[in-house]
This record gives sequence, C-alpha cells and structure tokens, in this order.
Amino acid sequence: MTGWPILSLVVFTPLIGVLVILFVPSGNHRAIRGIAVIAALASLVFSLRLLGYQSSGTEFQYREDISWIAAFGMRYTLGVDGLSVVLVLLTTVLSVVSIFYSFDPIQTRVKEYYATMLLLMVGMLGVFVSLDLFLFYVFWELSLIPMYLIIGIWGGPRRIYATVKFVIYTLVGSLLMLVAILAVAIAHASAGNAFTFSYETLRGFGYADNLQALAFIAFFLAFAIKVPMWPFHTWLPDAHVEAPTAGSIILAGVLLKLGGYGFLRYNLPLLPDAAKEFAPIVIGLAVVAVLYGAMVSMVQPDLKKLIAYSSVSHMGFVMLGVFVFNTQGLQGAIFQMISHGVTTGALFLLVGVIYERTHDRQIAHMGGLNGRLPRYAAIFGLFTFASIGLPGLSGFIGEFLVILGAFQYSAWVAAATMLVVIISAVYMLWMFQRVFFTVPSGWMHRFWPTLTDLTRNEWLALAPLIVLVVGLGVFPRPVLDATAAPVQRILDAVNASHGLTSFRLPW
Amino acid sequence: MTGTDVLALLPELVLVLLVLLVLTVDLFLGREQKWVLTLITVGGLLLVGVACWEEWGVNLTVFAGFYRVDDLSVFFKVATVVIGILSALFAPSYLKQRRLPLGEFNVILLFSLTGMFVLASASDLITLFIGLELMVMPAYLLAGFAKTDRYSNEGGLKYFLLGSFASAILLFGISWTYGLTGSTRISEIGGLVSGGGAAGLIAISMLTVAATFKVAAVPFHYWTPDAYQGAPTPITGFLSVGPKLGAFALLVRLFAEGLGASGADWFGAMAILAVLTMTGGNIVALAQSNVKRMLAYSSIAHSGYIIAALAAFAHASGQTLIVNGSHGVADPGLVARGEAIQSILFYVLGYGVMNIAAFSVVGMLQRDPRRFGGLAGFAGLAGRAPALAAAMAILLLSLTGIPPTVGFFAKLYVLVATVDAGVAWLAVAIALNAALAAFYYLRVIVYMYMREPESDPAPIDTSPLTAFALAISVAGVLLLGIFPDPVITFLRASAASLF
Repeated sequence: MTGWPILSLVVFTPLIGVLVILFVPSGNHRAIRGIAVIAALASLVFSLRLLGYQSSGTEFQYREDISWIAAFGMRYTLGVDGLSVVLVLLTTVLSVVSIFYSFDPIQTRVKEYYATMLLLMVGMLGVFVSLDLFLFYVFWELSLIPMYLIIGIWGGPRRIYATVKFVIYTLVGSLLMLVAILAVAIAHASAGNAFTFSYETLRGFGYADNLQALAFIAFFLAFAIKVPMWPFHTWLPDAHVEAPTAGSIILAGVLLKLGGYGFLRYNLPLLPDAAKEFAPIVIGLAVVAVLYGAMVSMVQPDLKKLIAYSSVSHMGFVMLGVFVFNTQGLQGAIFQMISHGVTTGALFLLVGVIYERTHDRQIAHMGGLNGRLPRYAAIFGLFTFASIGLPGLSGFIGEFLVILGAFQYSAWVAAATMLVVIISAVYMLWMFQRVFFTVPSGWMHRFWPTLTDLTRNEWLALAPLIVLVVGLGVFPRPVLDATAAPVQRILDAVNASHGLTSFRLPW
Repeated sequence: MTGTDVLALLPELVLVLLVLLVLTVDLFLGREQKWVLTLITVGGLLLVGVACWEEWGVNLTVFAGFYRVDDLSVFFKVATVVIGILSALFAPSYLKQRRLPLGEFNVILLFSLTGMFVLASASDLITLFIGLELMVMPAYLLAGFAKTDRYSNEGGLKYFLLGSFASAILLFGISWTYGLTGSTRISEIGGLVSGGGAAGLIAISMLTVAATFKVAAVPFHYWTPDAYQGAPTPITGFLSVGPKLGAFALLVRLFAEGLGASGADWFGAMAILAVLTMTGGNIVALAQSNVKRMLAYSSIAHSGYIIAALAAFAHASGQTLIVNGSHGVADPGLVARGEAIQSILFYVLGYGVMNIAAFSVVGMLQRDPRRFGGLAGFAGLAGRAPALAAAMAILLLSLTGIPPTVGFFAKLYVLVATVDAGVAWLAVAIALNAALAAFYYLRVIVYMYMREPESDPAPIDTSPLTAFALAISVAGVLLLGIFPDPVITFLRASAASLF
C-alpha cells in the first residue's frame, strides 16, 4: 500500500472521528467513546506502517506534496525522517492511552471532550510530519487551542488562570516565530528565488547574520516556551496541576516534545550559524533548568507539581543534549524525549489513578498505600525508577548519552548534570517513600475501606507504557538506529557553519 | 455626460434605483410584511454586485476625470456589497424586537453603501469628499437609529459632531492642497509635500488627521466606543466595518495613489499611528467587561494593523534601494508595495465578514432589550446553544488570528507586507499585539465554555434569517482562511491597477 497517502491518513483520521462524533447525540457516551478510541487506534495502526521507514534510504520518506496557497508558494508537503517517525509513534501511542484512560474520569461534556482530544491529535501529528514552514505553523497553532479547552473546561479549580497563562505564553512565542518564518522565506525569495516555504529548500540557504540572529531568537522563544526552558517554564506547573489527567499525559508526553522537535528540525538546520553562536548561552540555560527543576521538585507538596517540575529538569537534559552538538548528545536528547514522554505520561496517569479514588494529590495526605494497593505501588515504583534513570529502564539511556555528550563539551557541565541524577533520586524516592511506605495519614484513613487496586481499564492503559519503558531500556537500538541519520544531518549542518561574524541589531 | 459615463456609473445607478424602490415599496407594506424589504434589498444588492463585476477589467476615467472605474474600485465595491448583504440579513430580527422601522434602516444602509461606492471610485478630491459625506451622513443616522434610546442618541450625536469636525479638517486640508498644487486631481497632488514646504506639511497633516479619524486611529478614536455601544447591535456591526472599509478606500486613494511617490515623507507618521492604534485599542479593550464595547475597541486595534500595512507601503516607496523584496523583479519596491495594498484589501474584506458576524452574535443574545451584551450573558453559552457558541468561538479565534481562519491569513498578509518592505519591527509590534488581543478575545470563549450560565440566562434570538447569515459568515471565515487563493488572485489584479 505504498501508493496510499499514509501520512495524511495518520494525521487526518482523528479529524474524521471528530466529524462523526459531532453527529452523535451528546447523551450517547458509549458511542462517542467508542468512536474516539477507534479513530485514535486507526491513526495508531496507520502510523505503525511508518516502521517500514528505511534508515538508509532518502531523507524524507512517505512524502506527499500538493500545492496549497499558490499565491505565496505554500504547499501541503508531508514527509518523515527517523526523528519524525519515533515522535509520531510516541504521539499516537500516548493519544490512544489518554483517550482510553479518560473513559471513567471524564463524565461531563463527553462529546466535546473527545472531539477536542482528537483535534489535538491532528495538530500534534501534523507538526511532526510537515515539511513546509507555513503548514508547520498552522498545525503548531492548531495544537494550541484544543489544549486550551481541555485545561479550561475539564481542569481543576484554578483552571482558567492556568489555561489563559498557557495560551498567552505560547502565543507570544509562536507569533514571533511566524514573523521569523516570513522573514526567512522572504530573505530566500529576495535572492531571486521563487517564493517558497519548503523546509528542504529554505534549509540550505545562507542567511545574513543579522537575520539569522533575530530569527534564531524568535524561533528559540517559541520552542523554549513550549519545552519549557527555564526561565520560560512558569506556565507548566500551573497547567499541569489544573489539567485533567489525560491532558497532563498529552501535555508532558507530546506537547513539550513539540518544542524539542522544533529545535532539532528548524532552529539548528535552518539557522546553523546562529545556533553555533548562541549555543553556550542555551547550554547555560539548560544547566540551570536541569538543576533548578530538580531542586524545586524536592519541595513540592503536590504530586502533579512535583512531576511537572521534574519535567523541567528532564527537558533541560534534552536542551543540553541538543546544543552540545555531538552524536551522543543529540541522540541522547531524542531518546530522552521519547523516554520522558512514556515515563512522565505514565506517572501522570498513575497520579490520576489515586486522584480518582481520593480526589487529592497532596503527598502529605498519602502514606502506606503499599499495604492497600500493592500492584499500584509496584507499577508506580517501576516508573519512579525509570524517571530517576535506573539502568535497564528507558530513562537511563537518554540521560547517560546526554551526559556523555556534555562531557565532550565540558567536564564541568557534565559534572553539574551528574549531580542532578542524584538529586532526582532524592526527590523521587522521598516522594515514593512518603506515598507508599509510611503509615497512612489520617486523611487517607477515610478512603481506606473503599480503596481499590488498579482496574482492568487502568491496566490496559498502562500496559503499552510498561512495555515501552522496559523494552526501550533493554533494547534501545530501534530508536537510536532510526535517529542516527537525522542526527548526522543536523551535525553536518552545524559543523559546516562558521558562526556569526557581523551581528548587529538592525535598528 | 456621455453614454460611457452613464455605463461606468451603472452599479451606482442600480443602487440608487434600489433605494427608491425600497422607499416606495415600504409605503405599501403592512407591519407583518416588512420581510419583503429585506428580500428586495438583498436581491437588489446581488444585482449591484453583478453590475460591479461587469466592470472588472474596465479601466475608465469618466466625468472629465472626477470618477474612475478600475479593478481597485471593483474590489472595494464588491466588498461593500458583501458587507451590505450581511448587514441587511443580520438586522431585521433585532430591529423587529425593538419595533424599529426596517424600511428606513434599509434605505439609510443603501445610501451609505452608495457613498462607499463613490469613495471607491473617486479620482478627484472633490468626489472623494462627496463620497465620504454620503457615506457618513447615513452612518450618523444609523448610530442614533434607536430614537427613544438615550445611549443611541448620545452615540449618534457624538459621532455626528466629531465626524463633522473631521470632515471640516479634511475639507480644509483639501483646500490647502489645491492652493499648493493647483489641482484637486488625486493623480496630480503627488508633489504636495516635496514641493510645498511647511505649507505642504500642514496640508498633509490635516489630510492624515481627517482620514485616520475616520478609521478610528488612536488618538482620534474617542467617538468610537460610544457610537458603537449606543447603536443597535447589528447596526454597530455595520458601522464597525462599512464606513471603515470606505475610509480605507479613501486612505488608499489619497495616500497610496495620490501621495505614493513621496511615501518616505509620511511613513513615520503612519508607522507611529499604526503602533499607537493597535496598542491603544488592545489595551483599552483588555479592560472591557461588555462584549459590545470590547469589540468596538478591538476594531480600533484592527485599524492599527491595516494602517501598518499602509506604512509598509510608504516604506517600500520611500527606500526602494534597500528593500528586501526583489523576487527577481526590476523595481525591488514594487512587489512590496503591491503586497501592502493587497494586504489592506484582504484585511478589510476578511475583517468585515468576521466582525459584522461577531456583533450579530452579541445582538442575538440581546433578544431581551434590557441586555447590553455584558460578558456574563455569554456564560455557559456552550451548554445552552452549542452551535451558536461554536460559531462565536470560530469568529473570536479568527479575530485573534489563529489558523485556519481568514483573520489569521489577513494578519499573515500584513506581516508579509511589513517584512517584505523592510520594516520587520512593525511586524514584531503586530505579533505582540496579536498576543495581547488573544487575552480578551479568548476571555469570551472562557465565559462561553468554562463557566456556568447565570441564573436567568439571556434569551437567544433564534430567527432563521440571522442564523442563516451567521452560518454563511462562519463558512466564509473558514473557507477564506483555508483556501484564500481565489481571493488573492482577485485582489492582486485589483491592487495592480494602482501601479
């Protein structure tokens, strides 16, 4: 079935689901859930076809290319390389998991909820497969509004504050990125070329130093806010705490990766000189993020907030790996993104499990759960260790590779980040101990008789994540193989660059 | 007056005949039959649209140089017809609930459209002034259309007084221009500033002030919120886009066509006005708790974006040598200038459709005349009327500039124009302002989707006519956002007639 527009099918199958859902009466929850999960599964099945990607073949495979807005040379160009493939698969898996997990927790406005979740899927998948900068931007924005609604409608008590903060932060970044995209495309056209937004065409062009610097800053802001990188991270804890469980899974699992992907796909290959010039600054920020996220995690009283801040730390690893510009660093960064998506997604899901039963997430209100919920404790433990980076689980590979890469850049940077591996053990294990091992708190006693261990649905939702976290930890080759070629291309682009020679602000 | 002259005036003649027809038929209709008037108005406007379309590609200057038919005028006229039809469709239900006369509304509306037609075709300052007055005089009446309503009276009077003041300034500016250049032909006033010295500066300042007053640019915007808030809501929708479209036709004719060559001289003024207008409009809109008033202020901000495009035009004319946009063309500034004009055209059309529809939604929530369009009335709308809430959400996202909507593409067009003209800082200002605007537009979505309805929710107007017009507008907003190509082809040809 090579003749099929497989990427369009992956991206737009959820949209078909949305359209079908719109015609189902809103009271028929069963049908709506069924359609949603079928649409997401169909997309997942289509995306599995991408496993046939040939790492030794041409760069972008499964290409589709149709003219869209001819007046400005905007095209509907889709295509994937190894980097896109792994992220698309992460997205489809996590989407199916979070949609499936939502069956019980979401009981209000069910129709709107699943339509929004599927729309979110369209936006995220579109970002990973677009090869046209304008198309990329459209999908990028498309992924914003559904998340805004998910947090704002189905979120916690301070949801409106959190969601508005999330949107405004993201919009500021992305609008500046739009200006940068236009500036890049126009600069390319000014040299006598046809007006185009094609990534493959724009990437090789030598942009003037000023433009590179400014465009880099604009792209950087958009992606750094999304990652989120210190000091642009403040929306994240709010958004996570207020988001419903499935929203948190997608937010941590996929949306943050949009930022990391943006750096790898756009910032580095498109503006290699500026990337080289600004790398030390970004590395500095990344190290701060890694340390800061970990330290702040230690003192969080709320489970979700703790995991949210640990995300800041883990995504700092990603940024560090990206900007040390060597194979280990970049591969580690990509691996860390996948691993963080799976691990953190699972942790948020597990927090959701206890929240469903007690409607509380305060660590101080827990305690002794091991005695009452042994299976839950075991799985929670598994992902806790994965998050710390225990060898044999996926978290280890990414962190190890990044630190290896960082060491080649500077021993001090590597040493600082090594320290964090210890701190992360402190906050994760301490949290685990307070939740599962001490005596049950007075608060928890009220729920004690009614507490039930993992249900069948919860097991089903967790199963693929457990398989992935162990599988990738033991056998990381598939991901590393798939990303080897893209990483090499990025390195070639950056290493060939000369840095900025004459950078000045234009006004 | 020759045969060609009359032929060139065909759309205007059809329009005036339509006014007379509506006026006459109104006399013979009972209270329950007034819907016939809407039918006649909309049908007649469609006919006018066809007549305009017949003039496509015709390039004629008639009435001894006072009146001009070119592709640019055709674009403005077609856009005018679109806005006219939407206004005629949105108003009846609202007016009926308040026992306001539908016949007079249609007549006044059509007169105002006639003024916009004249403005679009003006090739002489005298014609320009006549067109402007013909457009705004009915607009004053419309603002005060609810005769027994205090706020409507106040708004109408304010609009009239300040508007007349601006018209006087414009007239004064025109007379200075005539004194300096010896001509009132738009094509012959190009040397005004460079040849006029200090007097030329005074003249151009007066023209700028008067023209930007009409598009409600900061700091000449004080009439807007009161005039917009006091007027019956669907009429506010028309006022916020119709006369604005006309005023931008005036700006394009006067500045791009007449003073285009000396763009460097007025670039600074326009750029500052643009930034002031978008920022000022947005900041004040942030503080509004009444949706109608919020939309009024935000319409100021939108004017700012369009003025930015005009500033880009000026910059591209002024500094042809260092402009980026060569695209392999001999005159590097030409492409950028064209893009600037195109973006103005695209923006006024797209903005027209989305804003008029957004006001109509506010109007639909005012079935109970004691409701004033406060934010609270929108609370929980998604639960009560999912389709209406979804429509409003799409319109608001479009006004914010989120893809894939016409509002997004309009902003994108302006950004392309500014970046291409080499004024990227203006593009950055627009981008930051768009993020600012998101805050208050999305607040309405917050109310609609994330809050519980108030205890006695506002009754919703369910007239099929209004719903139909809303559906068309929303479809247009999405369609133009996803497939703007046909319109771009159209307006590229229109803008080309300037150069």
